[in-house]
Amino acid sequence: MFASRCNQLRKSLALRGLVAASGMPEAAGRQEEACVVPARLVEGSALAVREVGAPEAWPGPLAFLDGVQRSEVVAYAGTSPLIVAEVAAGIRLRTGRQLRTVEQERLLFIAGRAEALSLAAPALGSMPQFHIEDKGPLHPLRDLELARRLVDRVRGNLELSVYDRFRGSHDEWLVVDGSLSVSPALAADDRAVGVSKSHSALPFDGQDMERYLHLPAGFRSSMFMPGGERAPVVAWALRLWPFEGRDLLHGLVRIEMAPRQASPDRADEVSRWLLAERTPLSADARWDRLLYGIHSVEQHLKAGAR
Amino acid sequence: MTRERSAGPVGRVVATEQKPSTPHQFFFWAAVDAPVGIGAIVRVETEERTVHAVVTDGAAYADLQNAIHDVMATDGDPAALPAPSARTEIRLYLASVLRHEPPEPLQPVPLAPVWLASDVDVKVALRMDGYCDGERATGVPVGVYAAGGLEAPVLLDCDFLLGPEAAHLNISGVSGLATKTSAAEFLLASIFQKFPAHKGSIAAVCFNVKGPDLCFLDQPAELQDEDRRLYDRLGLIPEPFRSTHYYAPFKADGVNLNTLRTHESLTGSTEPLVWGLREILDFAEVVMNRDDVDAKADAFIDFLGERVVGRTFHDELLRHEPFEVQTFADLEEFFRAIFDFLESMGRGGEVWRTHHIATIRKVRNRLGNISTRAKGLVTDDGAANDLPWGAFEDRGLYVLDVAGIDPLAQDLVFARVVSKLREHLERRDLGVEHVVVFVDELNKYAPSDGPETYVRKMLLDLSERGRYLGLVLFSAQQFRSQVLRRVVGNAGTSLFGRMDSDELATPGYSTLSAATRSKLASLPKGELMLRHPHFTQPVFVRFPRPAVLTGREGVTRFPPTPDLPFADAVARQLKSLDRSIGVEAVRELLHDRREDDVRRALGATRRTRPDDVLAYFRTLLGRRVPSEAPAERRHAVRPVAMPEDPYL
Repeated sequence: MFASRCNQLRKSLALRGLVAASGMPEAAGRQEEACVVPARLVEGSALAVREVGAPEAWPGPLAFLDGVQRSEVVAYAGTSPLIVAEVAAGIRLRTGRQLRTVEQERLLFIAGRAEALSLAAPALGSMPQFHIEDKGPLHPLRDLELARRLVDRVRGNLELSVYDRFRGSHDEWLVVDGSLSVSPALAADDRAVGVSKSHSALPFDGQDMERYLHLPAGFRSSMFMPGGERAPVVAWALRLWPFEGRDLLHGLVRIEMAPRQASPDRADEVSRWLLAERTPLSADARWDRLLYGIHSVEQHLKAGAR
Repeated sequence: MTRERSAGPVGRVVATEQKPSTPHQFFFWAAVDAPVGIGAIVRVETEERTVHAVVTDGAAYADLQNAIHDVMATDGDPAALPAPSARTEIRLYLASVLRHEPPEPLQPVPLAPVWLASDVDVKVALRMDGYCDGERATGVPVGVYAAGGLEAPVLLDCDFLLGPEAAHLNISGVSGLATKTSAAEFLLASIFQKFPAHKGSIAAVCFNVKGPDLCFLDQPAELQDEDRRLYDRLGLIPEPFRSTHYYAPFKADGVNLNTLRTHESLTGSTEPLVWGLREILDFAEVVMNRDDVDAKADAFIDFLGERVVGRTFHDELLRHEPFEVQTFADLEEFFRAIFDFLESMGRGGEVWRTHHIATIRKVRNRLGNISTRAKGLVTDDGAANDLPWGAFEDRGLYVLDVAGIDPLAQDLVFARVVSKLREHLERRDLGVEHVVVFVDELNKYAPSDGPETYVRKMLLDLSERGRYLGLVLFSAQQFRSQVLRRVVGNAGTSLFGRMDSDELATPGYSTLSAATRSKLASLPKGELMLRHPHFTQPVFVRFPRPAVLTGREGVTRFPPTPDLPFADAVARQLKSLDRSIGVEAVRELLHDRREDDVRRALGATRRTRPDDVLAYFRTLLGRRVPSEAPAERRHAVRPVAMPEDPYL
């Protein structure tokens, strides 16, 4: 009854010029982090949308970098939680349609406040320990959130570690899951492309935001430099799959490249390459934005989890 | 047995709750390009346990969750370019366990790496290590197991192929593609070369029941290098049978042989198969249908056998002179005398010596029927030319070409030969200790349904008790399901060539996996699936083509000659005894001679094999040959019409 009513409403709202939607895609960004971080356009004077052309196969071998993490509370020292986490990062290189792992690294560690860790030390053996730094009053939920951020950071560092090793011996194009701006080295890599599925921070507001989020499939936005204090990159939005009837964020990814590589033609070219990477579809709820190569790295890392 | 596998496992055993590893089967995955296929033998090894298994099924799937995702990815265009990344794909194989080491305690197959079998593995997996080594080895090569670049010889255990532990071989497969005849020929050659001395002597008797199939087993084939390599791998010499003996009945004219082996260069090596009344009477039951077989007919046939045929029988009521029944003609004369006597008695003249006239007529009709339908096999002059009972040669191959004769006569030949083999093997006076009898078209002789015939009963008896005597049945047919189950069930070893898919759908094949059945339905020539008592699972083997001419090649290289005129055919027969005899001399000799006289003289010459063949033959023509039928031609015996009798 409810579903049927919703469908009726979708139809009538669409007739009135609204965009029908049926649900927010998974992992489109943390709602609590939703914000607008104004960006600076580097292509034209106003935000525009451009058709990028037909998909094109990526020339030559292509590598994919991703990381995974999981964590679990294992004890409380008083009210202070102790969290065990496992993070892994890897790179799979595609040659002749076949993907194989060329780099990977894993780390199992425990996180908690210093006092809690010292109490637990006799039971932890040689397991690496990471301290949650916080001067505020102790609150278990706050500590869990801090631990999550810590695990994120450790995973990010592990990704950079495998990236460094990879670049030491490979010069193939590399598609990175997420933003390049987390590392100056990545952000300056001429043969790295960041593909971000998350849209917690949007670069525009007002009419520009609408234009940005209403991007048709196979189109990209004008290039821009994201705001914030991280390493500089040039970015643009690319719609991989039609969003009509689904959600504004469906199939929408943000692409990042090193600023010195970025040009409108290069952005079109990379966009066409990425459109070709839509297939095969990833067996995942995020299939609309999750490139198969990234998915493959993720699966490999998860399968190897201890 | 030295070839070693290249290092490295090809897969890993995997087990889930839905697909657990058990003591009898397990799953393993292998790389997409791993040389693993249905029928491959693999080894799972841990420190505690080694398991050998054969791959019986396989599956492949990718990480595609739903087929619709592929449609979506290509926008519904089947011709869309392939995706830049190949999906992660799994090749999951099901393997059935052949052997655990140690065998106890019997446990599930461990989750460990999987290796392709090496030569040694194949030997161990198939338990050939128990009978292929040592002084008293009993292995006989049947082919090579071939997978992933490995070719390992597979040997059968003589004790289980030729008795006494188990025996008999059955071959199934569709005509023309299953290479049933080739398989039998190759295996016989292998047995002749490798049958161990400590097991004694062996011979084979083959019935050629269709075309020229077995007509050229003494002629070498031109083998390909690949075949020679296989022979070498199996330790066999590619050569035709060294000691072959061909037998074929005459045609109705009594001088031309009823065989496709009539090319001039082959006729000398083909003996006539000729039987007289005595030989036939012992197997009169063969020609009786089920309705005929009753105590009265049996009693009268016994009476004929014990009191009349081959003896001097005197009955004043019938005739003043004693009867000396040696031939069908004599027998007909004897019957005629009985009927004349009974007719002369008028009313009440229906019984002679407790035998009712209807019984006598029935027996006369059936026996007379043989002499008509098996003319050429059955001689009127009573002199037989038979297999060398008591003088069979070790490694001798005796081929009886009965392809051209009436089915009733084929049954008769088959029944008598097998019975005589059994009789002599029981008395241990055949000349050899083991005999393989090869019969093609077994479904014709031992059908799963249809009337109970003498031949069917005899085959059943052979399959159930023959192994104790050393009498072994090698049989072949298209459809195993159409053969009496007890006959094929008693075959310890079975070979399956390419099979018909309808046949594979029958219950007899339900124990095979779908993949194995699918492989059977498309087996290439020269490849067979093999069951043997030592092998806990069927295995696939490849064998080289036999080193003998096939029937088709044989008739091309040795085209049969048309039937010769009477005198020329006689000349050819004599020439086979003495090559110096000329046709013209024989023609001149036979001028104005009666054909019956000539046939008798020819038979006697053949039996005697004198030093001066032509002189002896001439002498015989000049006088009456002993124990002959009456000179005048007798009336043909008209069979009693019995519409329900399938033999009429």
